[in-house]
Amino acid sequence: MTSEQEQPPVRVALPRGDLRTPVDEHLRGVDFLVEGYGSGARTYTFGVEERPGIAVRVFSDADIPIQVALGNYDLGIASKTWVDELLVRHRLDSVVPLRQLDVPTSELVLAGGAGASLAALAEGVVRVATEYPNLAAHYLANARVPDYRLFEVWAQAEAWPPQDAELAIAPRPTVEKEGLEVLGEVHLGGVWLIANRESLANRDLSAALEPLLRIPRATESRGIVTPQPLEITARKRSATAPVEREAFRIAVPDGHAMRHTVAALADAGIAFPGYEVGSTERYPDSGRDDVQVKVMRPQDMPRAVALGQVDLALTGRDWLRAFLATFPGAPVTELCDLKRSKYLLGAVVTEDLPVKTMDEAIAYWRRDDPEKPIRVASEYVSLADEYARSRHLGRYQVIPISGASEGFVPADAEILIEGTETGTTLRANRLTMIDVIMESTNCAIGSAVRPPGKRGELRDDFVARMARAAEAAVVE
Amino acid sequence: MPDRGLRSQGMRDLGPDEMARFRAVERAFLDATSAEGYREIRTPSIEPLHLYSASGTLSPQALERVYSFLDWNGWSGERVVLRPDTTVAVARWYGDQPAGGVERISYVQPAFRFAPEGEREVWQCGIELFGSAEGSDAEVLTLAQRFLAAAGIEDLSVELAHAGLARSAFAAAGLSAAEQLKAYDRMLEGDANLTAELAAAHPEGAAAVRVLADVDGSSAGYVANLRAAMPSVIPGADSALDDLEGAAKALDAAGVPYRILAGTARNFEYYTGITFRFRSGEQTVLSGGRYDRLAETLGGPSAPACGWAANVLGLIAVQS
Repeated sequence: MTSEQEQPPVRVALPRGDLRTPVDEHLRGVDFLVEGYGSGARTYTFGVEERPGIAVRVFSDADIPIQVALGNYDLGIASKTWVDELLVRHRLDSVVPLRQLDVPTSELVLAGGAGASLAALAEGVVRVATEYPNLAAHYLANARVPDYRLFEVWAQAEAWPPQDAELAIAPRPTVEKEGLEVLGEVHLGGVWLIANRESLANRDLSAALEPLLRIPRATESRGIVTPQPLEITARKRSATAPVEREAFRIAVPDGHAMRHTVAALADAGIAFPGYEVGSTERYPDSGRDDVQVKVMRPQDMPRAVALGQVDLALTGRDWLRAFLATFPGAPVTELCDLKRSKYLLGAVVTEDLPVKTMDEAIAYWRRDDPEKPIRVASEYVSLADEYARSRHLGRYQVIPISGASEGFVPADAEILIEGTETGTTLRANRLTMIDVIMESTNCAIGSAVRPPGKRGELRDDFVARMARAAEAAVVE
Repeated sequence: MPDRGLRSQGMRDLGPDEMARFRAVERAFLDATSAEGYREIRTPSIEPLHLYSASGTLSPQALERVYSFLDWNGWSGERVVLRPDTTVAVARWYGDQPAGGVERISYVQPAFRFAPEGEREVWQCGIELFGSAEGSDAEVLTLAQRFLAAAGIEDLSVELAHAGLARSAFAAAGLSAAEQLKAYDRMLEGDANLTAELAAAHPEGAAAVRVLADVDGSSAGYVANLRAAMPSVIPGADSALDDLEGAAKALDAAGVPYRILAGTARNFEYYTGITFRFRSGEQTVLSGGRYDRLAETLGGPSAPACGWAANVLGLIAVQS
């Protein structure tokens, strides 16, 4: 065996989603042919044609900087917004941005409803919704906004202003589509080739690096924008009394949770025109003046309820539990079980592990090195953390991921905290659930304190109708 | 001590010998300060981030080095921090007191800040004098000297500056508040081009800026020279020079040699008057200054304030 063959492959992380097509075109242009990547094949690992010794893995854009920082991947192509979202807070020198590629992206902007201005808002408490909490905190600190609340949302931050937040930090096209007013740029975007410092220093990456550096470059943008600071003002903090709403507000989920929710509502004799599978209406029609319906990510609902922005939300018990694992004192509770969308959430490991229980697995992973950190990857960061603590994993790392969890185990993590409905996908990926954390169904959640007056009555009515329908469906 | 990877980066243990020395410094501090009427308080380890995020408290650079996180109430979107600085916390405490008036406060507690290599938990002992203007600069400078002498710190000298002088010079050259912060950092870094740029922007004040930024003073005579050069061309310099003169006289009386510089304090934002650093040989052992707007910035009463803090473990290192 030659020494070349002994080297582990050069590991390259490529983005899924909107960047997939333009990145694939550039890869073809430099004869870096990743068959199936551009066409959106459901596989997540690829080789590169006529370039042995390179292993490609597809990730969510947001996960790539973390994977390169951890050293799981030597090279990556990712949006600079996600690279800087990581580096602006964690100051890792393990990620080396190499060059900006000629791939168009949009900037992140700060935006608010009509008439919003940063200076005027700096007088009181400013609520800011964003998927990018670290870039947002950097911006607000430098703008010297004296008192702010950051709502870290999973998606669609632009849907929060003006009612549920004063400002959003989100990509320019989405805020413009939402009709918000842009107040300033937060990050200028760009797509970059990035590398792990240790790999650059110690490994021969040239087989991948040479072609990737031939991808046409773009003029480097400065990335993070540092705003002009507001003038010093004396503090005018006052306890903000919650705004008393007249209208009863219901949140319903988008995405794949929609199908079960539409069916649960139909069973209870409730229909919201505009809320059907496949529709993208943000505010479906409730059919009455005193009820408002808003479509949002199920992940974001527990927070919206805790903040008093929503009276009733239809989400998954997994997301409620994940939220309460982070914020045990939040005033949000389950009101009724809708008994649909049933699945198991638990600890998933590779089928190839010669063990039956988690305790045996821990002993197996640590058989050579008792201090070895166990890597736990999950979309449910707080649940993963809670699991690792309660199972006494000892030294562990929680690796946050945003979707595309297949294939993390065993290469990039020992354990995946993941949900499964039938187990089919797990089996297809040679994975198995070794420990069940909870059974999740969808449920209605609301404030731990019943809202006063008419809103309280409406909540009781909706919950009673849905609970009856759920019981009836089970009996059938 | 072997590092088995079981301690968080930037954190250290204090063994029995170090604790004995820690307590000795602490006793010297509490004895010296209580003799002058300072009363000890302790503030929470966790504070709301917004206490530190307003202009005039921590600079954006310092803010990015705080340990901030979401606690159990973080669903409201409000972050908390591990106390990165005690002066701001004491200013908040002062605003919470019903009486206002004069408060002489001492504390011994850690502050937490990110540092790439060094310590991230810094045990500080310090004083704050709120609500008293007359003679308070001299009072805190003299007390610093007494404490350091009692703690056995030798070869003392002081670097003295006035935040208002640099600010007035920058304002006269037409710099905005944000530009003043940048210029101040350049001045601390000894950027030679800065004087030329300021002189070009405000030719009338050029000589005054050169005396301030390019020459380090070492006696009250230097203050007199500044007085000859500055007030006519740099508005607002007069009262700053009075402060500086008072501080220089107090140090003369205490027999501590000093140098007068254009700036000493990194965290420029909350200082409004004199700033100073006590050194033992080449080592900075204590620093402080005046921050008359801080209590008001935090929603408390308008009150003059000054004080200083020393790194307890730094003092122990210098002792040995």
